[in-house]
Amino acid sequence: MFTTPAKASLAMIHPAGIDLESSFTNAMQGLGLSPQVAHILWLPLPMAIVLVAAVVGVLVTVWLERKISAAAQQRIGPEYAGALGILQPMADGLKLLVKEDVIPARADGLLFTLGPVLVLVPVILSWLIVPFGQNLLISNVGIGIFLWIALSSIQPIGLLMSGYASNNKYSLLGGLRAAAQSISYEIPLALAVLAVVMMSNSLSTVDIVDQQNGAGLLSWNIWRQPVGFLIFWICALAECERLPFDLPEAEEELVAGYQTEYAGMKFALFYLGSYINLVLSALLVSVLYLGGWGFPIPVEWLAGWMGQSIDAPLVQVITASIGIVMTILKTYLLVFLAILLRWTTPRVRIDQLLDLGWKFLLPISLVNLLFTAALKLAFPIAFGG
Amino acid sequence: MFGFLKKVADYTRDAVNAANYLAQGLSVTFDHMRRRPITVQYPYEKLIPSERYRGRIHYEFDKCIACEVCVRVCPINLPVVDWVMNKETKKKELRNYSIDFGVCIFCGNCVEYCPTNCLSMTEEYELATFDRHSLNYDNVALGRLPTNVTTDPSVQALRELAYLPKGAMDPHDVSENKRRAGMLPNEMLELLKARPSKDDPSLGIKSSPEINKTKE
Repeated sequence: MFTTPAKASLAMIHPAGIDLESSFTNAMQGLGLSPQVAHILWLPLPMAIVLVAAVVGVLVTVWLERKISAAAQQRIGPEYAGALGILQPMADGLKLLVKEDVIPARADGLLFTLGPVLVLVPVILSWLIVPFGQNLLISNVGIGIFLWIALSSIQPIGLLMSGYASNNKYSLLGGLRAAAQSISYEIPLALAVLAVVMMSNSLSTVDIVDQQNGAGLLSWNIWRQPVGFLIFWICALAECERLPFDLPEAEEELVAGYQTEYAGMKFALFYLGSYINLVLSALLVSVLYLGGWGFPIPVEWLAGWMGQSIDAPLVQVITASIGIVMTILKTYLLVFLAILLRWTTPRVRIDQLLDLGWKFLLPISLVNLLFTAALKLAFPIAFGG
Repeated sequence: MFGFLKKVADYTRDAVNAANYLAQGLSVTFDHMRRRPITVQYPYEKLIPSERYRGRIHYEFDKCIACEVCVRVCPINLPVVDWVMNKETKKKELRNYSIDFGVCIFCGNCVEYCPTNCLSMTEEYELATFDRHSLNYDNVALGRLPTNVTTDPSVQALRELAYLPKGAMDPHDVSENKRRAGMLPNEMLELLKARPSKDDPSLGIKSSPEINKTKE
């Protein structure tokens, strides 16, 4: 509790990083606009940038997925669309865009259309709280990480909706599996996050990262929460329906699960949603456990050794760039790991999946939470008392 | 009490083992990342078929004596030999000969038993057509020479793994005049001829160390 004023004063000493919003508002006011108008003009900019970043991130991830899959199987992968096939995901997207939009005759048209939207929108909305730097996020909402957990529980409704509305047995089974899977993995996920939140005394993603960057690499949460990290990663894979947990769309059993009846742009929404979710999960793992935008050696120390003030404009720009690069680097390392896991692990059965969620991850995450609480009471310095 | 503890211990061991196997699997997958792709980019690159390749059958009309041995040894009596008896010369006169490659299984029996060697196996394998009836080759089509991978300027010919020099795994960067590992068939034949006759030449595998010695 008493850390909050201390942190506020710390923030006053270190404005740390560039604040684009205030510079933009000041510039607009310089042009004779009122602060309200300037704020309204500012609002769409970060949203558009983050949306573009998310979509570009997905394109890169799809390309990486195909290339890494190829490398793991001693193939070449996409090669002719652009240099090294870098434009292949764009070509795929373009193809889906111009395909016919089929709604099956006996399906429920409204729910069938609403399903993919309800899957994609919460995922994109969750990018609201993803920080790329001290002030480089859309909105530093106080309930940050909790907002993400709340939003991600909307997704199974969309999946169930599209599975049920398709009027197809495979779709229905896929939708039910997706719902069961999401619900059972939400709880250990939330408990793992709760342990991190307990250590940083805040739900805000910015505070969580700040609290990890006292001593660079050594103060990252992964050392204090190794079990929590594993639980979170397993649950994140399950939430993203990645192998070994891709039961909802297990092609050998369910054709394509809830996506079976979808084509064209609606299928593209599912596809986009699943990959945005993967990137988002990787981003949040890096935010929660790998120090977010933090460089392995704190940038403040580096600036100090080089005799530079952390507030100098050039240093601030470099710091912000390092922050963005570090976030993306950590994220894509985790994406790489997810793709590697895809080609390593066989798919689990539905009973094994639920066993793992309820009988293994849930008790362990509970113990982890209690253990963190005990450590926090015992060693307040190391565990953010 | 102890039963419960044993259960806990077993469960923990299982979990640790599972994690261990997962790590082993990941290391295998990761190791594959540094291996070069074995892809042959087909229309631009093609493998040179092996010398024993059983491809499309080549047929020389002028050598054929219309004996129909090929029909008799064929598992499904596939070759159609269309001949008439010339009463004056008392000889068979061949009019047409055809094999339907949509039905042929490329077993090579006809080639093996042909008394005049008018049938032979080629290395041609690209037999795709728009209509299955176009696979029924008549004596003109059967008499065409096979297309050659090595002389096609639009194709990069690649050697198969068994035809690469010793130690080479990737056919892309192997120069054309580097000979393959092991002995060529004619060298093997000479070696077998030169050996003392008490050893049955048909059991060549038996004395393989000797072969290696002479090679060195």
